[in-house]
Amino acid sequence: MSDVAVKVDHVTKSFRMYHERNQSLKSAIMRGRTSVHEDFLALRNVTFDVPVGSTFGLIGSNGSGKSTLLKCLANIYYPNEGSISHFGRIAAMLEVGSGFHAELSGRENIFLNGSILGMSKKDVTRKFDEIVDFSGVEQFIDQPVKNYSSGMYVRLGFAIAINVDPDILVVDEVLAVGDQDFQDKCFQKFVDFKEQGKTVILVSHSMQTVQTMCDHVAWLNHGELNAVGAAEPTIKAYIDSLHTGE
Amino acid sequence: MKYLQEVWGSRELLFNLTSREVRGKYKRTVFGQLWSLANPLALMLVYTLVFGLLFRIKPLPGDPSGLDVFALWLLCGLLPWTFFASVASAGAGSLVENSNLIQKVSFSRVVLPLSTVGSSAYNWGFEMIVLIIAISIAGGFVLPWIPLVMVAMVLLAVFAAGVGLILAISNVYFRDTQYLLSIVLQFWMYLTPIIYPISLVESASKKTGGLAGTQVTVLDIYTLNPMEHFVTLFRELIYDNRFPSGVEWLVCVCWALAALGVGLIIFRRNERNLAEAL
Repeated sequence: MSDVAVKVDHVTKSFRMYHERNQSLKSAIMRGRTSVHEDFLALRNVTFDVPVGSTFGLIGSNGSGKSTLLKCLANIYYPNEGSISHFGRIAAMLEVGSGFHAELSGRENIFLNGSILGMSKKDVTRKFDEIVDFSGVEQFIDQPVKNYSSGMYVRLGFAIAINVDPDILVVDEVLAVGDQDFQDKCFQKFVDFKEQGKTVILVSHSMQTVQTMCDHVAWLNHGELNAVGAAEPTIKAYIDSLHTGE
Repeated sequence: MKYLQEVWGSRELLFNLTSREVRGKYKRTVFGQLWSLANPLALMLVYTLVFGLLFRIKPLPGDPSGLDVFALWLLCGLLPWTFFASVASAGAGSLVENSNLIQKVSFSRVVLPLSTVGSSAYNWGFEMIVLIIAISIAGGFVLPWIPLVMVAMVLLAVFAAGVGLILAISNVYFRDTQYLLSIVLQFWMYLTPIIYPISLVESASKKTGGLAGTQVTVLDIYTLNPMEHFVTLFRELIYDNRFPSGVEWLVCVCWALAALGVGLIIFRRNERNLAEAL
């Protein structure tokens, strides 16, 4: 447990809140400025380490900065201050089926989506059967995805994302897809992941999910880190704070 | 240099995104890829009727090819132009249209505008093949010039890519860009010798002489337009079947490299901020 998979070091992230946002050339020229804004701190000096092989949960109320932190971890946002370093290949699953083209077949979309997620053609070809098998849409693999049911669509998306095979997986609340059977399959996949010594970082509002899956938890509150540590006491503290109404 | 390596590393993604555009575009149409020829043919018909037959614009016959067909002469300039215009306008929209992808997945963003170059180039290549066949049937001896035509096509694609990168970023911050662009492209097209020969500008320029008492003529300003040089390149190679002067080549190479260089620098500066700005 001494090895660190992800090091979040004094991360601060602010967004500009625009009082008036002028995205037109006219207003920019006429007033000599593009906007009036003030900074909003979404994350304030957050520091923690994610140990290798752990399943790490991020909890907190709405607007506490969980998703911002997740996007920073996924290299979509870049922190204003501090740094995030990760040791090993990182993959993020913030949305399933990103970049699917509705008119293309499931097969074509697997290759397209796989390459967006950073897999080479060889990787996708090698894993193709596994992906199709996991998604359970073999029968429709050569149909355009616009004809898929919404369940099939997200299952295919999830199956591709889970097969990227990273060392560190960052997951937003995408577990809530598909039927019970599929959810069990996903759950099993995460357990396998853990057994292979890989790290999972997970954001969820469902304390039950976090409780069953995570061994470490970080609790964010209004952009600040309230507590970090073993899952059970941290979750308990969080729930208690909700009941007492802070 | 490191940035170029990163771009090179995403070539597979670039290829996949390009083929997404190409394959997705004409799905479920009866004529499929043939539709990409419809637009230039329609333009050719209109311009040939209006400018060739009504206004009687008469370009000099191809030298030494001896070709004297207005429609073919027109296409030699029109096809490169429509390619450039489609890259510019598709490139401008490329980031905004894929904002969802940018906000959810981390990948080399530069592939988005570059993939519009790829898919437009695919259609353009198709059009150029048809043009070269048509010119060969009409009696032009264009076949030995094909390698040089391809070099010129690559140069124009590089130039268009640079312009597309700049416009893509500018459209993220100023959504006016895409609307302004369609107007600018119209002016730009008529400022380029596509539907009239440059000799018309030359004679008009000679009549006017130096502007405001200086040595600078209208023609000097006119030839600042990079597309003028690209069109000249294509026309001399395909229609006239002769080797364009070294100066023409050099000007085109410089414009292409400058546009791509500036485009990549601007893109790189703003790339990290895209997910927030969109």
